[in-house]
Amino acid sequence: MATASTSRTAAPRRGPGLWRRFWGRWNQREGYLFIFPSFAHLLLFFLIPLGFSLWLSFHDWRGLVTRDIPFVGLDNYRFMIEDTRWWRAVRNTLYYTFVSVPLGMVVSLAIALVMNLKLRGVYLFRAMFFLPVVTSWVAVSIVWLWVLDGNIGLLNYGLGLIGIQGPRWLENPQTSMLALIIIATWKGAGFQMIIWLAGLQGIPRVLYEAAVVDGANRWQQLRYITLPMLAPTTFFLLITGVIGSFQVFTPVFVMTKGGPRGSTDVAVYRIYERAFVNFDFGYASALAWVLFAFIFTATLIQLWYMRRNLGRTYGSS
Amino acid sequence: MSTPVRRILALLTAAALVGAAGAQVTLNVIGFRVPPNEVGTPLDLAYQSFVAGFEVDNGVFVNALESPPDFNTFILTALASNTAPDVWAQDASSLAAIASTGQLLDMNVCRELVPSFDFERFFPSVLALHQGFEPGKTFGVPNDFTPMVIYYNPESFARAGVEIPTAANLSYEDFLELAQRLTLDTSGRNALDPAFDRANVEQYGYRVRRFPLDWMHWLWGNGGAPISPDGTTASGYLDSAASIEVITLLRDMVTVYGVSPSPSALDALQASLGFLDLFLTGKVAMFPRGHWELIGLQANANFTPERVGVMGNPYRTAPATVMFESGFVIPANIAPEKLEAACKFVDAATSPGYQDTKALTGIAISGNQAVAQAAIATAKLPAVEQAFFDQVQYGRPPYGALFPQYPAVETILQSMMEEILAGEDIQAAVADAVREINRELSR
Repeated sequence: MATASTSRTAAPRRGPGLWRRFWGRWNQREGYLFIFPSFAHLLLFFLIPLGFSLWLSFHDWRGLVTRDIPFVGLDNYRFMIEDTRWWRAVRNTLYYTFVSVPLGMVVSLAIALVMNLKLRGVYLFRAMFFLPVVTSWVAVSIVWLWVLDGNIGLLNYGLGLIGIQGPRWLENPQTSMLALIIIATWKGAGFQMIIWLAGLQGIPRVLYEAAVVDGANRWQQLRYITLPMLAPTTFFLLITGVIGSFQVFTPVFVMTKGGPRGSTDVAVYRIYERAFVNFDFGYASALAWVLFAFIFTATLIQLWYMRRNLGRTYGSS
Repeated sequence: MSTPVRRILALLTAAALVGAAGAQVTLNVIGFRVPPNEVGTPLDLAYQSFVAGFEVDNGVFVNALESPPDFNTFILTALASNTAPDVWAQDASSLAAIASTGQLLDMNVCRELVPSFDFERFFPSVLALHQGFEPGKTFGVPNDFTPMVIYYNPESFARAGVEIPTAANLSYEDFLELAQRLTLDTSGRNALDPAFDRANVEQYGYRVRRFPLDWMHWLWGNGGAPISPDGTTASGYLDSAASIEVITLLRDMVTVYGVSPSPSALDALQASLGFLDLFLTGKVAMFPRGHWELIGLQANANFTPERVGVMGNPYRTAPATVMFESGFVIPANIAPEKLEAACKFVDAATSPGYQDTKALTGIAISGNQAVAQAAIATAKLPAVEQAFFDQVQYGRPPYGALFPQYPAVETILQSMMEEILAGEDIQAAVADAVREINRELSR
């Protein structure tokens, strides 16, 4: 024992290198074989294109032909600074995000609170609310095109029954983005409801029982027990919601093509148009990386806020 | 002899020639095969007959492929990966984007290789679409084309008590007055009547839309243009007095004279009826469009030959029209052993025989002058066909045939007109567009 200890002290061995640690586990090498297909897929369809798009963002590649792709440094990023269409698209994306994320969370929480009650047929209703989640965005968009039609749409028909003249939702710049937000809320509510439900069912019953003993009413229970205890769920939905909203594309592509008058032109649609309509891949890649920077920054801010406030909620720093 | 039998004989002949002369040449061509739902139609048989005949005459195998959807993306990707077909039909409106890659063959090479292949068979104004990108070079030759014209419904004229103009092209003033006379409210008053009720229009005179293909000829007809002839700037062109004047006229047709439905009114009209229904049932008397619209019109349940007429575009300084065209091109890096066969194929495809199939599709006019002239007599609507033919002399290339950056410019022009038709200040909207276009062109 003493000898071994002395020996370690006298000649401290360097720890195994990364490669040795990675490859040195003979008995686990089969595992690498198992993850190889997934890794190859990740490499081929994600990591290489990711690196390529970063490389492209510093080059002028227009027209798909690979013969002449000059290095242009930061020109694509400089061009973006004065690109009014891009900044309008960013503004529209922020509007979409700041309205659709909170609205979706509130609506889905309300649904989850009801679905958390022990009601007859509650599982059927949960399944019904979840159905839009598993429906394709393209199919949803086409159905909503009809629902929102100004003349023959179901929504305006319903509004008409209660004496309200519905707008031409998708042809009016004042209402077109609102229409997309309504659709996104409807489509996403089921998924968020499930997450809320998981959070709700994780809250210990004893807290409510203690609150009842103390004379708390329903609202006070919600305000002082449910909402604070749902804080981790809230932040999860907030972060994933913001990331998803920044990337909104399919309903815009199918329903409005960024119109009318650019009112639904969002960041990803602008990138798509630059890349696949104008075949301006260098600039489109630069825009994509800037969008990534926005999303990354927004996520970091939320994580920082979450750590600070969740720590306070649970009494630790 | 039936077409399949001819094809088999062609292959046998080709095989015999292979045995005699070495490896057989296979030409991959796009656009000479119908989609599955059109197999057995006269067009399908005509394609098969043409391909089989070419194989027999030239001892090559033709691998005819159906044109894929989203063709521009397909062809650019194929060029990038060196898998492009040997011959295909390329839209002139995106020709510059392809030609700028340096991957199209100068067709003068074919003219030297194949003595029978001359350029005189083509309309000069249509061939010019292929010669504008680089002086002295001809990237492709015409397959078929259409000028943009004004469609009108003679029954709408009769309803308004207006004579159909005899002039091929009207002045702006005459056209505006015509559109005003054709615009009727529900009481039958026209737009020149002081009591005309703009809130209840039964028949509009004309359709103004935001799309540049609908109004480019208006700009040209007044001596205006969106960008300079060398494609370097919009300053002094889109914001010139001539351009502003005609943009104002188009806007006023919607907002001041009320002869065209506003974008939202048009959307409302089209919610229950397709636009061609609106036209054929007399809701809109005139609209600008190309030859391809005849297919939709003739397929419409409301169609009768008496409901469709065509006139040239109005103008102030000189008549003008945009020429939309599809031309045969060959990749510059075609295998040497295929080059002559590809040139011969283009020669055959632009000659009578294959070009006669244009009358079958009706989508556009043959690029071969003699074939196009002969088709007028046998057309279902000879007067309409003649009216198209008469406008060819005023044809100009679409900017996409000249400048590879034009798709981005077109997007800006469309947004500009959308803003203007929605009531934005013209000077401000044009100034914004000029600034944006200049940025694009400066890259």
